[in-house]
Amino acid sequence: MGQEKYYSLKNVIFLIIIIALIFFPYVADSRTLTILMTQVFIFSILAMSYDILLGYTGIVSFGHAMFFGIGAYTTAILLSMYDNTMMIFLISIIVGMIFTGFVSFLVGLLTLRLKSHFFAMLTLAISGLFLVVAEKWRTVTKGNDGFTFRAPDLFRDRVFFYFFVLVCLVVAFLVLRRFVTSPLGKVLIAVRENEQRTRSLGFRTLHYKVIASIVAGVVASLSGSLYAISLRFVNTSVMSMDITLDALLMTIIGGVGTLVGPIVGSFVIEIAQHYLSGLANDYPIFERWIIFFGMLYILVVIFFPKGIVGTVYVKYLTWKSKKSRPQQPKQSVPLVKDKERLE
Amino acid sequence: MDLFINLFINGLATGMLIFLLASGLTLIFGLMDVLNFAHGGLFVWGAYSGIFAYTWSGSFIVGILGAIVTGFVLGWVTEKLIITPVYGNHVQQILITLGFMLVLSELIKVVFGPNGIPVEVPSYLAGSWEFGEVILIKYRIFIIFIGFVIFGIFQYVLKKTKIGLIVRAGVMDKEMVQVLGINIKRVFLFVFMTGSAMAAFGGMLMAPYSGVIYAEMGMEYAILGFIVVVIGGMGSFSGSLMAAILVGLAGSFMAYYVPYLSLAVNMILMAIVLIFRPQGLFTNAKEG
Amino acid sequence: MMNSLLKLDQLQTHIGQYHILQGIQFEAIEGEVSVLLGRNGAGKTTTLKTIIGLTPASHGKVMFEGQEITKRKTYDIANLGIGYVPEDQGIFKGLTVEENMKVAIRKETDEVCEKQAYILELFPDLKKFWKKAGGHLSGGQKQMLSMARAFVNDSKLLLIDEPSKGLAPIVVEKVMEAITEMKKKTTIILVEQNFIMASRIGDTYTLIDDGKTVHSGSMAELIGDEELKRKYLGIG
Repeated sequence: MGQEKYYSLKNVIFLIIIIALIFFPYVADSRTLTILMTQVFIFSILAMSYDILLGYTGIVSFGHAMFFGIGAYTTAILLSMYDNTMMIFLISIIVGMIFTGFVSFLVGLLTLRLKSHFFAMLTLAISGLFLVVAEKWRTVTKGNDGFTFRAPDLFRDRVFFYFFVLVCLVVAFLVLRRFVTSPLGKVLIAVRENEQRTRSLGFRTLHYKVIASIVAGVVASLSGSLYAISLRFVNTSVMSMDITLDALLMTIIGGVGTLVGPIVGSFVIEIAQHYLSGLANDYPIFERWIIFFGMLYILVVIFFPKGIVGTVYVKYLTWKSKKSRPQQPKQSVPLVKDKERLE
Repeated sequence: MDLFINLFINGLATGMLIFLLASGLTLIFGLMDVLNFAHGGLFVWGAYSGIFAYTWSGSFIVGILGAIVTGFVLGWVTEKLIITPVYGNHVQQILITLGFMLVLSELIKVVFGPNGIPVEVPSYLAGSWEFGEVILIKYRIFIIFIGFVIFGIFQYVLKKTKIGLIVRAGVMDKEMVQVLGINIKRVFLFVFMTGSAMAAFGGMLMAPYSGVIYAEMGMEYAILGFIVVVIGGMGSFSGSLMAAILVGLAGSFMAYYVPYLSLAVNMILMAIVLIFRPQGLFTNAKEG
Repeated sequence: MMNSLLKLDQLQTHIGQYHILQGIQFEAIEGEVSVLLGRNGAGKTTTLKTIIGLTPASHGKVMFEGQEITKRKTYDIANLGIGYVPEDQGIFKGLTVEENMKVAIRKETDEVCEKQAYILELFPDLKKFWKKAGGHLSGGQKQMLSMARAFVNDSKLLLIDEPSKGLAPIVVEKVMEAITEMKKKTTIILVEQNFIMASRIGDTYTLIDDGKTVHSGSMAELIGDEELKRKYLGIG
């Protein structure tokens, strides 16, 4: 009882989706689509990391872009300073993660004592400072102009890069899912539900929140590294508020606290952005396509108040419970038998 | 000394403009606890519609009235359509108001065109008074004056009138206010509309000050507004005023003396305040 | 004259998924003090909240002065002349006593001013701390302020939830005196755990158990009925 079946509907769906994604580059056979999907995966990783904060710990951060930006800059700087080999790239991912781990630890200690609004504004301030540093420290970052660099040769093949990012996404998903279902993740959910009570149960909630912030930061750094590779260019926009807002919107649209939601959200936003802006070329009415984008947000809140995945999941649960209601007597039969056997 | 006075007046005028924007947020974010990211959109709509009315009629006063009316109407639409379904839910507030913000600022481009519009100061407010090296730009003095007047009006209404009492009571305990026979929804709608009108008014006054209006100005100033509300202490008008002046002055002096830090000054201010005095600089309350 | 002021007919209320009230039958006669009795969690507070519209009924009817008010909004119901004193008193902590009264007063007519003066004589403490913040009052003073707020308008009916809770005996005595005094001018529905207090000022009683009315009658009857008291109130 209670153990997840390996052939459960959920796992089967995941498997089908992954197989579909593996064949996607060969079936679609379009460079643009492959690059677009790669972009979706990268932002999925970022949004999932944000979900650890928003969905599982219940804190709104306005400074997530700084972790993304640190990852992007670390990879870009190391690759341009040394050689554009795979080795350096992998090292840069590790270095970026360690560095963000350290920064998110410090920032977490400093900020997480504060309550919701104040925490959000302080993260906004600190990431704003990082942005200014990136803008002013021109010898290293080239400021807002940014700089291009050479990615490892293997990544010239867009399909190879597609698979590399897909593997990163799957690994990040599995690791994060393990994280949120672990005892530690349960404490985080308890913090989200009622921090006061969790504290009075003897948990030092600040520690747990800092851990969540480190995990979220490190994963965001990974997505930043991949993002830099995908563009082979980096400038201060990777630290900007827009990145944080993207992560936040993808998470909310997909459904907070679901981990799958952010992936769906990233897919919806990236695809909508791509096609709506594409339509602008053909139909002048779509020239202001961002209006439709804004309306999308509004409609999601009205029709999918728990996000797409969250709302669908609730619908599925009620449908299942309705379907299983007539079967309830059946379920109780073996229970009675068990009891008899015990007697 | 002359330089000091010039920088001071500059900073004070900028601070007052920020205060006008933040005063609406103090009501909506500070008192009603609604995270309204569309506030900047109302600011831009105020600027554009006000300038439209100003050029059409030739009267600056008509322009201001136009902006305020636009603010009221848009505030009504926003509250009814956007905010009512999401009272009390911050996550949904962020999503829906950001969406509405996109709609508002893109609609600006549809209605008024995508390019910035240059704006001139009305003739009777143009020019400056000069006292030796001290140059007092008339429009800045005008803004400082308006800022204090608005502050006085809000303080009076909140502290001395029945509607002010009801608003303050409603923020403390919504249910109990209704038990005493007051339709709190209508009160909050009114408060929201007033806050929106203040944003529009601020946008209109900002237009001649910056000399040009553009659709993106909303978000930039909205973030400044949030910063001021937080630094000043949520829901405190005098706090918002002081914080806005502080932000304005710091910006003005830093831009002159340490220009490479001027970008960071607001963020540094906010970080320091939040780390050492999270309940806000200018509140004596213990809540935080 | 036995004029019925408020009538609850087969009242049912859900809060979330919980079925709190499952059939309340009740009538308040004009000029009387009706006491709702019952164990903790029996549904007394919810009954008051349903009357004032804070937890709207899912079935049944609330009739006030002959018209149905079941589906009306809280502020609408309050404006008909029903005052509510919640268990936690609901004082606006950041406002002074004076401001608390001002929020409550609907229209400053001569009548209301007179009534306010009368109330301040009834509760001299309020006059004494007129400029003091509501949050700094003692429990008894908060109770008095809350009753004053509910009573100051032309209230035909007062709903008072456990006024004696958490108060020192001497303060309870004061509150009781005040209720006895207010009874001269209005009808009162009282939720009270303190049976001694309830029996002294109540005219009729209604026993609620598990969200249903189980007994009602005159207070004098209940005082003599040891069996009933033991069964539902655990006393006697």
